[in-house]
Amino acid sequence: MPAWLDLVVRVLIVIIVIFVAPLVIGQTEHKVMAHMQGRLGPMYAGAYHGWAQLVADAAKFIQKEDITPRAADRPVFKIAPVISMLPYMIVVLVIPLGPGGLVAQKLDIGLFFVLAVFGLGVIAVLMASWASANKFALMGGLRAAAQLLGYELPFVLAAASVAMAAGTLSLSGIVEAWRPWWLIWQLPALVVFFLAGLAEIRRTPFDMPIADSELVAGYLVEYTGLRYAFFMLAEYAGIFVISALTTVLFLGGWKGPFGLDTELGWLWTLIKIACVSFVVLWVRIAYPRLREDQLQRLCWLGLVPAALAQLVLTAGVKLAL
Amino acid sequence: MTVADVLLITIGAVVLGSALLVVTTRHLVRAGLWLIVTLIGVAAAYLVLTAEMVAWVQILLYLGAVVVLLLFAVMLTRAPIGVSDDLNRPRWPGALVGLGAAGALGALLVNAYRWEKVELPEAGTAERIGEQVFQSWVLPFELVGLLLLAALIGAIVLSQPGDDSVSGRKK
Amino acid sequence: MKGIGLAKGLAVTFKTMTRRSTTQQYPDVDPELPPRSRGVIAHIEENCTVCLLCARECPDWAITIESHKEEVIVPGAARARQRNVLDEFNIDFALCMYCGICVEVCPFGALHWSPEFEYAEYDLRDLVHSRDRLREWVMTVPPPPAHDRNGAGAKEEVVAEKALAAAAASAPSQVDACPNDGSGRI
Repeated sequence: MPAWLDLVVRVLIVIIVIFVAPLVIGQTEHKVMAHMQGRLGPMYAGAYHGWAQLVADAAKFIQKEDITPRAADRPVFKIAPVISMLPYMIVVLVIPLGPGGLVAQKLDIGLFFVLAVFGLGVIAVLMASWASANKFALMGGLRAAAQLLGYELPFVLAAASVAMAAGTLSLSGIVEAWRPWWLIWQLPALVVFFLAGLAEIRRTPFDMPIADSELVAGYLVEYTGLRYAFFMLAEYAGIFVISALTTVLFLGGWKGPFGLDTELGWLWTLIKIACVSFVVLWVRIAYPRLREDQLQRLCWLGLVPAALAQLVLTAGVKLAL
Repeated sequence: MTVADVLLITIGAVVLGSALLVVTTRHLVRAGLWLIVTLIGVAAAYLVLTAEMVAWVQILLYLGAVVVLLLFAVMLTRAPIGVSDDLNRPRWPGALVGLGAAGALGALLVNAYRWEKVELPEAGTAERIGEQVFQSWVLPFELVGLLLLAALIGAIVLSQPGDDSVSGRKK
Repeated sequence: MKGIGLAKGLAVTFKTMTRRSTTQQYPDVDPELPPRSRGVIAHIEENCTVCLLCARECPDWAITIESHKEEVIVPGAARARQRNVLDEFNIDFALCMYCGICVEVCPFGALHWSPEFEYAEYDLRDLVHSRDRLREWVMTVPPPPAHDRNGAGAKEEVVAEKALAAAAASAPSQVDACPNDGSGRI
């Protein structure tokens, strides 16, 4: 296969994944949340248990009027939703699905790349919140910036722990080095990474930047129609990316309990991603939103020390082995 | 001209243009956003020069933290939409310092390499950077670590409430 | 123990997910209404004597009645008797607050609750139900439910059955028993 065709195919796959995965996760959220609350959820769109609800939603979003507030900074306001999708798209590019070449793009320092690009998500939020010329949006943006700056630290530290344990920064290398007993050894890092990841994608219970009961909808206040849909898509793409990263870093990626890793590796990865995504949804349904000060407390007094302690533990075990 | 040359010139033009916009735009927050473009351009230049690790460090630290902090501070204080006329930008001294620094650095680089051709090294992996830092450059590395630690402790001391002698803040 | 509540929260939501949901799929599946549901008021004209009690008791003035008097000459009587004849009987369900006082106050069993509730209109004025509409609702009035599953039946039914039995014993041809309206009559 010539290089350019290879590249085109990979980019196409990534685009398909980044648009389909959020829809699947969103539909699952509809249904899971409904049943966890004793409801049925969407039942009409698509005839069978409302499977096409999000397609119908998309059709609705497309028809809606695209409003730009008069006081808004027009170009920045309009480009922010697109920027919000970009980091997740780029991250999906390097997540290994299976052993061998089943990676969108092999990178020697994949983990570093992922962490660097993932941190860019906040810029779209800042652009959206400032350009909206709305006080709620601005406060949402401020909260988002404070939250993402804070949680970046435990996020990176937890990832550093597993990189230290594996002795490599390559995502496939980490999966290769992974052993089942790491589940216990790296458990604190897993928890810290998962929680900080939830906060990074501004997911309940860490959705203070959106906080509908306090800030109406935070930085989303002024967005309508397709641009709003883009932000929503980015949120669910974020769930996919965080689940995929947790799977690859801490749950052994394509390694299954019955062997057959080379043939069925991709399936194991997908199953694990689905399970972690389910936990993300579950956490949203079970817990209320944290208060802004509780959020910062949890980060600086809970997650950061835990991540540092995990680093010490990892280094200790690594030296002892 | 190779592909790398074309890429470098294009990226350089983008970086230069956006950097000029940073200092000339009258929209305060947009200046910060143009700074993001500039820094991404610099990271891209690193990538073209096969310094992968440095490029991602640039993105992680400068974009993910420094610029965000900068924008955060601007929004916290004013966050003006549209043109702000009260920007205090001394034009001539600024131009003088900027051009002087650019000229000095340029002269230094030209003097160092002349027309010597430098082959692109192999991609800068984390392993190679690690070897370099912990073998050839251990002493500077440790010194920088000490400096950062001092700055960290200093920040903590300065932000301690209630100590008048240090922070000058009243109880 | 601290943090046990977090686990409990997850457990509760998960348990709920495994149970059947309580959603009623209303337009597709008819709801199971409790007995004596107040949906719409049916009017049995044959029982109505135009006493106007309902119209006067209605707190919302939702009932309007028009009538005139007719003389009925009874053979053998000294004078012609007067009788009220109903012309109009309207209930405005836009005003009605479903208190049921009119049904309670009717001495002749002319007003009854029906559980039908799907009579929404696009125009507010169409919510005024006239005689014909109110008569149509009569067919939807269910027999009154028993107060107690093992006890005696509702008074109306028992009385109607007795009347039916008595009538069948004496003169079967004259019986016109309806469990809904035959009871209140004296």
